[in-house]
Amino acid sequence: MEVGMLVPDGRSASLEEVVSLLSPQRTPQLSPFSDSALALCAGLSQAIFRDREAARFPELLALAFWMRRAELVSLRSQFRATSSPELIAVPRGLVFHIPPSNVDTIFVYSWLLAVLAGNRNCIRMSSRRTPQSEILLRLLRDSLERADQHLQHNTIIVSYGHNPEITEALSKACDVRVIWGGDHTVGLIRSVPLAIHAREMVFPDRSSFAVIRAETYLSLSQQSQQKLAEQFYNDSYWFDQMACSSPKLLVWCGSGADTRHASQAFWAALDGCISTRGFAAPAAIHMKKLVFSCESILDLPVSEYYRSREVTVLTLDSLKNYARQHSGGGLFFTTRVDQLSDLVPFLARKDQTLTYFGFDTDELTTFAISLGGKAIDRMVPIGQALQFSRFWDGHDLLREFCRFVHIPPPTVDLEPQNDSRRT
Amino acid sequence: MSFDSLLQLPQYSLPQKEKEAILGKELEALTEYHRTRSEAYARLLRVLHPHYRGVRSLSNVPYLPVGLFKSHMLQSVPDADVFKILRSSGTTGQRPSIVPLDRETARRQTVALSRIMMHVLGPKRMPMLLVESPSLILDRRQFNARVAGLLGMMNFGRNHTYALDAALQLDIHGIRAFLDQFGHEPFLLFGFTFVVWHNFLLQLKGQKLDFSNGILIHTGGWKKLQEQSVSQEEFRQRFGEEIGLTRIFNFYGMVEQVGSVFLEGEDGLLYPPNFGDVIVRDPVTLQELPPGEVGILQVLSLLPLSYPGHSLLTEDLGRIHSIDDSSCGRRGKAFSVLGRLPQAEMRGCSDVIASMEAA
Repeated sequence: MEVGMLVPDGRSASLEEVVSLLSPQRTPQLSPFSDSALALCAGLSQAIFRDREAARFPELLALAFWMRRAELVSLRSQFRATSSPELIAVPRGLVFHIPPSNVDTIFVYSWLLAVLAGNRNCIRMSSRRTPQSEILLRLLRDSLERADQHLQHNTIIVSYGHNPEITEALSKACDVRVIWGGDHTVGLIRSVPLAIHAREMVFPDRSSFAVIRAETYLSLSQQSQQKLAEQFYNDSYWFDQMACSSPKLLVWCGSGADTRHASQAFWAALDGCISTRGFAAPAAIHMKKLVFSCESILDLPVSEYYRSREVTVLTLDSLKNYARQHSGGGLFFTTRVDQLSDLVPFLARKDQTLTYFGFDTDELTTFAISLGGKAIDRMVPIGQALQFSRFWDGHDLLREFCRFVHIPPPTVDLEPQNDSRRT
Repeated sequence: MSFDSLLQLPQYSLPQKEKEAILGKELEALTEYHRTRSEAYARLLRVLHPHYRGVRSLSNVPYLPVGLFKSHMLQSVPDADVFKILRSSGTTGQRPSIVPLDRETARRQTVALSRIMMHVLGPKRMPMLLVESPSLILDRRQFNARVAGLLGMMNFGRNHTYALDAALQLDIHGIRAFLDQFGHEPFLLFGFTFVVWHNFLLQLKGQKLDFSNGILIHTGGWKKLQEQSVSQEEFRQRFGEEIGLTRIFNFYGMVEQVGSVFLEGEDGLLYPPNFGDVIVRDPVTLQELPPGEVGILQVLSLLPLSYPGHSLLTEDLGRIHSIDDSSCGRRGKAFSVLGRLPQAEMRGCSDVIASMEAA
């Protein structure tokens, strides 16, 4: 069985060869945050910054910014600060990453945290690749070639079609399997067995929403309102609103009158921002949004419909039956509540990111506690929805990629034999 | 002027302005009819068009996107009156459209189709060669728009003969026998565009058969032929060269508006019947576009009573060529269909499975 490899080079290899390339005998393990791994990642960040093609894509620049040297160093100190001398962090071994086919940057985030933890990596890339992922593949290949010898064979990227045999072999060989993607993918790959000791992290379909306090919004200068719209635009439109953490619902918190005024200003500002940026969705997306709007009007308590060139807004009287289905491409549900806690009954495990404006940390903490673990994995200011972090979907990825060898101090003091007694 | 008098008038005889005045009034009444009979339609109208107070011009008639019929069965008659549910033949993996019919709507569809076809076929039934497999209508589980279309067209012929066998292979003996018996007088051929090309014409190559008395009616869309880069001109030309068949009429129609078909004129352009019309809209702004510009097609028809399908925004691209100015004497809009709206690749945390399965 032949498997196409994209990294280290573009050749194909037999399945046996790929598995043996990934064996611990072939590639030495490194300690978490080794200098050479840090240098590799920082090098890739610089390569993205310097690449002329990459400069066209803001999401690639965001990735490079996130993995720049200073950020990696601070990640290292954070990681070390939470360690105790009793716990020796070691890598888990081989991490098998299955990224989604079209959030181009996810595979790098997933790989980066695993490689920093010292693991060996195998990434399965889809055969449907965007220009963005081709750029990343090229830069990653170059960076690996220049990396420390120990790291050169540390990462293999394969691409294959629907072939359960390959997925089975790689799943059996790995110590951690990471599945990004829709519920269908997660369900399907989950049924492929892992080695008995191996563990798995899955990132299924999620849904996200934004909350704005209407009164605070109305107190903003027009310039600040415009800025907030731009932040909201970045959260929503970078990945055609299809990223799990992009808001699909905007909840206004406040009185009916405040909400009416704030909402009017908000969507107008978003329209303005979109025309400045020159964003234009393809015709098929417009049609999809129109059909989805009609379906929603029939299935949900939609009381109002607003449509501008690139923004469609469906006002919901209540979040009852809100199914979290979505067309993507710039369609927003919106509703109003008196206070944050009114949302509690409607939220569900599927809700991932809450982006906010007008709330302080204490309010958000109280809200998070009142949810009692039933929903929401992160709360970030509007504008940071797509900002990846080691804390994702409720996991600390960095720690998940490590194993901890526990060496507690001895508790029973046993004295050596006293010489005098021996006589 | 009522629907029935529009039917009786010679097709394609109304000047656009006059037609718009009649259709505007009728479609306004039809909108009201569906609003009071279908709760779902009333809700859509209320939310999508809160300021709708009647039709001022044809482009004001509220429309529904045709894709909505895949997820929701919209119905303007009581369940007891539904005697047939039409489903589109849609490609595998796609949900079909679902359209409920009552007897009156079905009757209107039949009469309307016959008025349109009689315009090119004349009032007499001709011997008919069906470029289709006989197994299609034998298998009742398969009842869909394709079968319905075939059955509907069979009304216009007699001595029905199938040109293809169960495996969609040419039945050359059957065809020869048909031509021997009927080839010297006008006869009718009907089939789906791709089948007529791929399973019929291309297979007849070198057989030296004479179809010069035939009239071919075909439908189903150009998508598959476009993939093989066969243009409409080439299609016509090859039929003439290979088998002497020159009278060819394509029609554009859909399961959501059965009977209200847009038939080609002798000039190769499509024309709306008296009781229907077409509007081209900008796919982004949804504003009406002037003749010459490419946009998505909205189709209007007075036929649908059992479901609110009288004004639909399709997912097809098209262009209006002329109004009241055709070279084949037809009045009204002359247009062409340019294929499906191209599907866009969405980004996002979507499944990797689609690509795994496709490979």
